[in-house]
Amino acid sequence: MNIPSSSKTNLSVGILLVGSVSWALLGAGLQVLATLQLLVPSLAYLVPIPWIGYGHIAPLVSFLFTYGWIASGFLGVLLILIPRISGILSPSGRLLTGAAIVWQFAVLVGMAEILWSGSTGLISLPFSRSVTALFLLSYLILGSALSRGLGGSWKSGPLLPRLYLLGALLALPLGLGTAEVLLRGGLAPGALQIIMQFVWHSFLYHLWLTPLALVFLFQLLPALTGRPAGSLSLGLLSWIATIGFGGWVGNSLASEGPMPSWLQSAGVIATLLLGVAVLGNTLLLKPLLDGKWEECRRQVSLRFFAVGFWSYFASYAWLAFLALPGVRQTTTFTMVGQATQALLIFSFYGNVLAGAVYSLLPASRSIGWPSHPALTLHFWFTTLGAALIALAYALAGIFQGLALNDPGVPMSTISSYLRPFLVVALAGQLFWWLGQLAFSSIFFASLLKLFPSVAPVAIFPPDREATKQSLTPAHP
Amino acid sequence: MKSSHALILVFLLLLLTWAGQVALGFFQVGRMEPILDEETNYPKPPAASGLAQTGARVFASEGCLECHSLSARGPTGSADLTRGWGPRRSVPRDYLFREPALIGLSRVGSDLSNIGLRVPETKDLMLHLYNPRQRNAKSNCPPHPWLFDTRLAGTGIENEALPLPSRDWQQLLPTYKAKALVAYLQSLRTDYSLPEAPLK
Ligand code: HEC
Repeated sequence: MNIPSSSKTNLSVGILLVGSVSWALLGAGLQVLATLQLLVPSLAYLVPIPWIGYGHIAPLVSFLFTYGWIASGFLGVLLILIPRISGILSPSGRLLTGAAIVWQFAVLVGMAEILWSGSTGLISLPFSRSVTALFLLSYLILGSALSRGLGGSWKSGPLLPRLYLLGALLALPLGLGTAEVLLRGGLAPGALQIIMQFVWHSFLYHLWLTPLALVFLFQLLPALTGRPAGSLSLGLLSWIATIGFGGWVGNSLASEGPMPSWLQSAGVIATLLLGVAVLGNTLLLKPLLDGKWEECRRQVSLRFFAVGFWSYFASYAWLAFLALPGVRQTTTFTMVGQATQALLIFSFYGNVLAGAVYSLLPASRSIGWPSHPALTLHFWFTTLGAALIALAYALAGIFQGLALNDPGVPMSTISSYLRPFLVVALAGQLFWWLGQLAFSSIFFASLLKLFPSVAPVAIFPPDREATKQSLTPAHP
Repeated sequence: MKSSHALILVFLLLLLTWAGQVALGFFQVGRMEPILDEETNYPKPPAASGLAQTGARVFASEGCLECHSLSARGPTGSADLTRGWGPRRSVPRDYLFREPALIGLSRVGSDLSNIGLRVPETKDLMLHLYNPRQRNAKSNCPPHPWLFDTRLAGTGIENEALPLPSRDWQQLLPTYKAKALVAYLQSLRTDYSLPEAPLK
């Protein structure tokens, strides 16, 4: 069967992906500006403008990356993937287009709010109630279109990607809806607000975005490599642990003050157990990539998936390391937070998203990626950039934590010692931005069909059959 | 696995996650009450004034949280108390009247959970907000001059004006936002004894 839904979902996919690429570029540019301000505090004295100050830009950057780039992008590629594996049409292309526009509008309004009047200061909820309403409205439509496809194709393909999608689909409305009601409905007094902020933070990353990324890894890695993922029972166990423990992870990062101590211990245990689940998934997926160097070199999408997969492992290994008792006390409130963000968002989600776009967009748009140096630039610059950022912030954070714990070191000394790390992080951010620029140029050029579409899906010629088989449903 | 079974399982796992933290958290910290001081009959922690609550929102919206935390830890495993960031560690009850309750993300700057004790004077805090380098020439805290209005001094300098040399008969007056923010900063102090965190 051919892609039945492509014309109906085409526009919504386009809007979500164009939004995603644009927010990433903007976010990366602003990130450079934020780091520059940490590096050269005098800049704020030379140009004291509230809306480009660190206090506004820093929350804006993580908002743009999370809700703009990654979330919008994942929703876009899911709208390509799910109809193709289920063969189920979305009820109305126009409704989906509307939902895609509403999502972009929500990001735009959120951005304007943070720029003009600042963040709300709530963790992972920096925007107003109306932006929450817009996100939920858009998600209601996009999510129900996805769940229709999910329900209709439950038996017709691998189970694990479907299970992860199911978990993710439910986690976002539950987490965001209750965070909104409790935090801004005046229902949660005092320290409970802080607990709720961490719960929502965990839901957002570990129960929504991580499972979504795993949908692509479990669905597309077997398709691209032509190898099935191994033991289903190990996969199921890891899945249960991922959904069961993911929502507790934030507590392990929390400071002692407002958090009851049992919650912190629960967070630590959950993070360590989640690490075991990640190890399980790693054991399942690693054999798919073994000995596939040559393919990784040739196929852009597989290359990104491979790095995304290893970053998945690295991100959660890093989180488990941070949860270890001695480490945790030293590193709370330090730049290790930025290292975690770089690993999760840039390396894990970002690479999986890029792999998904490279492998799925040609199918939906009948465009081919030209073999252009920009593809190589995209890969090397973003990979190198993300690695530099993560490494610099990780070292900076550990160093900062050790220094903060030594009362003899004054604060000003700490900031001057952090400078070299910030320089490296800044270089990484510039690299990453350049890589993203290369990607954007090729993405927009392909969308506008500036390249002759000689070879659609030419990026993975040898495995094309395997890909096609698993991307199209086994209907009669 | 059937899709309906998977759905129920996911739902239960998510519910357990949510209720395990938020509902149990509610029973533990959500129903906390202030302690009445036996001598003065004032509540501990003291209730925040309306101005200070507005100030908490200014604090959040200016992004002070990106560089300052609001939680003193210790005495073991952390040097917060030795650094003079508080007379004792912060505990959940300290956040009882905070609206919104905030904790901060990073310690590029110092912890501010007791800034009201460390820098109690309104003038000092105002000056710091306007230009931190007036107080500490090497400060890396960004200035917030937009929280102040420039106005002609008229016949005399007003009481609230910043103690800076005036240029062209101008004086710098704190806006409502600056006053609220300073009231909030002054309210950040945990110099009262609680059963779970006594003052030494
Ligand atoms: C870019 C990071 C950054 C931001 C944003 C920031 N600060 Fe700071 N702040 C610092 C640093 C670094 C110091 C330590 C240097 C110093 O003592 O001046 C500091 C010091 C302070 C101090 C003095 C602390 C002491 O122990 O004496 C106060 C008060 C303060 N900041 C308040 C604020 C307020 C209020 C805001 C928001 C309006 C804010 N800061 C935003 C970095 C920041």
